[in-house]
Amino acid sequence: MKILRINMNEDAPVAKFEDLGDYQGLGGRAITSAIISKEVDPLCHPLSADNKLVIACGLLGGTAAAMSGRVSVGCKSPLTGGIKEANAGGQAGQVMGRLGIAAIVLEGKPKGEDTYKIYISKDGVKIEKDNTIKMLPNYELVEKMKKEFGEKIACVSIGPAGEMKLSGASVAITDMELRPTRHAGRGGVGAVMGSKGIKVIVLDDAGTTPRQPKDAEAFKDANKRFVAGLQKHPVTGQGLPAYGTNVLTNIINEVGAYPTYNFKEGRFAGARKISGEVEAELEKQRGGNPTHGCHRGCVIRCSGIYHDKDGNYLTKQPEYETVWALGGNCGIDDIDKIAMMDFLCDNYGVDTIEMGATIGVAMEAGLLKWGDADGAINLLHEIGKGSYLGRIIGNGAAFTGKAFGVERVPVVKGQALPAYDPRAIQGIGVTYATSPMGADHTAGYSIALNVLKTGGFVDPLKPEGQVDLSRNLQIATAFIDSTGMCLFIAFALLDQPDTNQALVDMINAFYGWNMKDTDVVEYGKKVLKFERDFNIRAGFTKQHDRLPRFFYKEPIPPHNTVFMVKDEELDQLFNW
Amino acid sequence: MKVTVKLFGGIKSDKEFQKNEEGNIIFEFSEPITLSQLIEFLKLNKKPFIVILNGIIINDLSTKIKESDEISLFPPIAGGRLF
Ligand code: SF4
Repeated sequence: MKILRINMNEDAPVAKFEDLGDYQGLGGRAITSAIISKEVDPLCHPLSADNKLVIACGLLGGTAAAMSGRVSVGCKSPLTGGIKEANAGGQAGQVMGRLGIAAIVLEGKPKGEDTYKIYISKDGVKIEKDNTIKMLPNYELVEKMKKEFGEKIACVSIGPAGEMKLSGASVAITDMELRPTRHAGRGGVGAVMGSKGIKVIVLDDAGTTPRQPKDAEAFKDANKRFVAGLQKHPVTGQGLPAYGTNVLTNIINEVGAYPTYNFKEGRFAGARKISGEVEAELEKQRGGNPTHGCHRGCVIRCSGIYHDKDGNYLTKQPEYETVWALGGNCGIDDIDKIAMMDFLCDNYGVDTIEMGATIGVAMEAGLLKWGDADGAINLLHEIGKGSYLGRIIGNGAAFTGKAFGVERVPVVKGQALPAYDPRAIQGIGVTYATSPMGADHTAGYSIALNVLKTGGFVDPLKPEGQVDLSRNLQIATAFIDSTGMCLFIAFALLDQPDTNQALVDMINAFYGWNMKDTDVVEYGKKVLKFERDFNIRAGFTKQHDRLPRFFYKEPIPPHNTVFMVKDEELDQLFNW
Repeated sequence: MKVTVKLFGGIKSDKEFQKNEEGNIIFEFSEPITLSQLIEFLKLNKKPFIVILNGIIINDLSTKIKESDEISLFPPIAGGRLF
């Protein structure tokens, strides 16, 4: 495996392959965070030539391992000012792996205003100026790439939001149907790609073969046990395939942790109408599909295809956090309009969570009424148009809150809180507060134990045990994000030690390593250390590891609790 | 005594019950009963894995229910990953 460095500083951009060197043994989030931590000046401006954008497949990317196609996108984040790893599904990870590329590092910054596209195949790298693709939305862009390079490609691209360098901009990855539906959404990674002048990276694996393990027999056997374990577990084998992630709407609402009206209440009256159960039923009725994988090799298939009322493709099945952000959080209970917003976010290239939280803040400011779905859709179109208002919204909740003088702004380190209220689920509050990523549920998904009872149970309404819980999950997640595995495997790993062992065996068989459980923990800690260390050098202190004050002062109904984990306890998270 | 029972994630009851306008079961009983007795009475197609009583997750199914309680039942489910 190689690192591909593309330097945009020169008059003609230069591509160079390098050995992994110091980064040997690192994949996914481990390699993006290592490169950013070692090579990027933590005090640089995120949109400057000194920042780098790293796109990496995982340790098992491009192999025959199930679930191994996730991609990590890393940089210094324009949204948080800290390190960022945004994780996405789609086809790019597998294709990169098969091309022998562990990481693509975009460096420097072009002098002019030209737009570039990059084509990578087994025969090499072509970097071309192409101003005909400037400001194209993602769907149109991918259509154009298909015409130019054929149907067997995977695209990594930005929409107009990335080109405008907005802090809510995402990097889109195409799925199996070659649609730009899977996004490295969080932290404004799309803006950094935009600052490099790169609109799209087209990956073509024609003529390549899967990466070969050191011990083929042991690898095959471990993969088999791993897949059987996923299929046996009720969540990864049944729950997720049937309803997708949006099955969470009802349960998070029932436990009173569904942030509604910009985090004012913990229950939404319209929740059932926008739940995964309703979504899956509509998809079946309209000829969509509720059970679909976001990349080849996914055996859980939590994704889906959402059709409009006339039976035409509208978007991929909107995820729980998307439906919450653009739905319940804004008092919107029309699933078709939410699906339309999901499409618009994907097309213009913005993070659905950040945009939903931002529209919630705009509603709080009185810019539009709670529940005004058409108004929300218009705001997203403003981003596409690049109007001044659109640029404010596209820069996220914190920026919009400032622009309109709003006090209640749900962000940590500048990044919007996702779909679980930390006053009703205390464990997730610890993750939001302490993750080097800013408020990010995936960084240490305490919901698994606080609500879903996978891997045990920790009472969500009490502060006790939440720091330990979040710490252990953050460490495990940092490892899983480095393997290229979808984090959803964790539900089976938490409950089934033999499935956990199968994953470790698979990595060992592939690389000829001898990793044990303790090494897995050390690996995860190493990744978090890269990240934490970068943030400290970027100026972050323990005061940044806190939730906004209203979470400590305003009780949320129905439980009427506040966030109760003490500051001193939060400060112990990284003391292991 | 009357309680409201909400079924989610494909859980269904084989029996006919009175329902409210949201489609939730209105369950009536005279003697005090426990959650596990209630679940038995309901004759469900799947065993509930997560039992929520008035917004609180209950692990001890010998907990008694009382007038106006709200019970929500879920199979094993999960989600939560972005994209
Ligand atoms: S489980 Fe869902 S998110 Fe994970 S790889 Fe499969 S389709 Fe993608």
